[in-house]
Amino acid sequence: MKFRAKIVDGACLNHFTRISNMIAKLAKTCTLRISPDKLNFILCDKLANGGVSMWCELEQENFFNEFQMEGVSAENNEIYLELTSENLSRALKTAQNARALKIKLTNKHFPCLTVSVELLSMSSSSRIVTHDIPIKVIPRKLWKDLQEPVVPDPDFFSFCLPFLRLCKILNLQVIEANLDGELNLKIETELVCVTTHFKDLGNPPLASESTHQDRNVEHMAEVNIDIRKLLQFLAGQQVNPTKALCNIVNNKMVHFDLLHEDVSLQYFIPALS
Amino acid sequence: MAAMLKCVMSGSQVKVFGKAVQALSRISDELWLDPSKKGLALRCVNSSRSAYGCVLFSPVFFQHYQWSDLVKMSENELDTTLNLKCKLGMKSILPIFRCLNSLERNIEKCKIFTRSDKCKVVIQFFYRHGRFESQLISYVFLFVFQIMLILLFTFYRLLADAIVLFTSSQEEVTLAVTPLNFCLKSSNEESMDLSNAVYSEMFVGSDEFDFFQIGMDTEITFCFKELKGILTFSEATHAPISIYFDFPGKPLALSIDDMLVEANFILATLADEPSRASSPQSLCLSQKRKRSDLIKKKAGKNVTSQALEYISRKAAPRRLYPKETLTNVSALENCGSPAMKRVNGDVSEVSENSVSNTEEVPGSLCLRKFSCMFFGAVSSDQQEHFNHPFDSLARASDSEEDMNNEFNGSDAKYFCVI
Repeated sequence: MKFRAKIVDGACLNHFTRISNMIAKLAKTCTLRISPDKLNFILCDKLANGGVSMWCELEQENFFNEFQMEGVSAENNEIYLELTSENLSRALKTAQNARALKIKLTNKHFPCLTVSVELLSMSSSSRIVTHDIPIKVIPRKLWKDLQEPVVPDPDFFSFCLPFLRLCKILNLQVIEANLDGELNLKIETELVCVTTHFKDLGNPPLASESTHQDRNVEHMAEVNIDIRKLLQFLAGQQVNPTKALCNIVNNKMVHFDLLHEDVSLQYFIPALS
Repeated sequence: MAAMLKCVMSGSQVKVFGKAVQALSRISDELWLDPSKKGLALRCVNSSRSAYGCVLFSPVFFQHYQWSDLVKMSENELDTTLNLKCKLGMKSILPIFRCLNSLERNIEKCKIFTRSDKCKVVIQFFYRHGRFESQLISYVFLFVFQIMLILLFTFYRLLADAIVLFTSSQEEVTLAVTPLNFCLKSSNEESMDLSNAVYSEMFVGSDEFDFFQIGMDTEITFCFKELKGILTFSEATHAPISIYFDFPGKPLALSIDDMLVEANFILATLADEPSRASSPQSLCLSQKRKRSDLIKKKAGKNVTSQALEYISRKAAPRRLYPKETLTNVSALENCGSPAMKRVNGDVSEVSENSVSNTEEVPGSLCLRKFSCMFFGAVSSDQQEHFNHPFDSLARASDSEEDMNNEFNGSDAKYFCVI
């Protein structure tokens, strides 16, 4: 198994750092999947995570000048590593004004992801900062649990950029949306019920028109979720997405699909049982 | 007439002063105020005496600086001169200098003065628009002593950049130098224990330093938390930092010196493996009983051992001091450093020049950067005078008894740092 990659562009480096910060806020421990074209940060829906799962994908050629990898075997040309997200984001933080950043898989007493930063300095010689981040290599037999989650046929989905921005300041519990471009956020307690209405959100074209044709356009699908999970997701957002999609499966889950320029992030929050 | 201090600072000066207090608070819970004609020194030493800090504000730092050291003892006929050295609890003084940015903005001036008749230090803030507040802090007289020091090289404040490398849970860092480069890295011992710890290191070329002189390849390990506090303070002064150290086990010193402020900090370093014959960690191991034996036996020579023990011993992480059998005094005498040998002589001979006269210590000009850090090159006949004021003025608290025991009698000696 081999992996080495290099970033020399400052903007790419900053972007990668921001993504890593976002992942660190969303998942304490995550899986890094390395394949010839992509890098994925994965959080699978174990009980320990409260049923939440995350799938973040980036095209490696948008970030790295050099990217070489050799997977576990020729047929399975992928590498799955488990690491503490914060270790990576902190290591990248030191690369703010770097000339170059190199990441590679190494084995120093134990398997590590070595992040090596060449910093600009006042003199002719550069400063080299190295971080050895301990990782666990995930064996092939566990890979099946770490595949891209299938988005179940949603009942309703809509674009929801303004909703996301507002969510940060509201406490919300229930999300309901319909095919007419409306989304409601509701919080209900014994004493009070507050609802925020969003209108004129777009509904993307439906995959299969027939299944939805007979549904009432104004009928709402709703899901009851844990506020904290949603807030955690929103708190992690550092980059404004160009597109945001919210899919609701009635009483089952909500699925957010955020598209940034060259990164896509999917986040699944299960309904409260 | 009483020993007194009176000084006045502006808002921006208070900020630097406050930063010094904050940096020292990371080392100890007690702060000594020591005014002299050189200026006002703030000093502290930690409870295990493995770290020491001193920040000296020269008289020109203040808008007004007045100090007098005359003490007339009315109880007896003797006229005794006594430097005012008072100890304050960090808990009392730290909260005063908490919101430094707002103090800088809102304060017109800050007055600090002592009232030795009531054993109080008064800190007054005169805010804009006529408001002012006064804080009185009680103090206790006390003595402090110090030792040490062998130097190697100086560098600019790149250490502050290095600090972001390490996580806050890091206890110790290792400094590894060769004649060509400088490397700051996570302590090996720590990263081996925790499988989840990130190991970081930063390599810097020697040409980044203003002055870089290394005798031989060395690796020393010391406490990270104390270093962080010192570097935060150095950022406030924008002055270059000098770092002096020797081989493992010997203390490490950091010095910040600009025209107005001079700060010195001493940290203990992890001693080497016991296999090293001339390793100084043998100094660290003598217990109190043994030390008092040494004191009785050799009036002059014990100073080094005693003093170096104080600076090298650290109560917690036991691994800093491997359990060793006690060594005898001759081992101490055979310790490699010529600087120590020099100091083993009669204390009264210790002077500024003595330590620098050694071929093993390059760049002796750097030694003079340190002014006399601590007081007390005391020979036995002067001891009487010091004891006297102690009796009449000191309010010894329980915690000081240990320290006092060590200084009792004419056997105890301290010496001046170069």
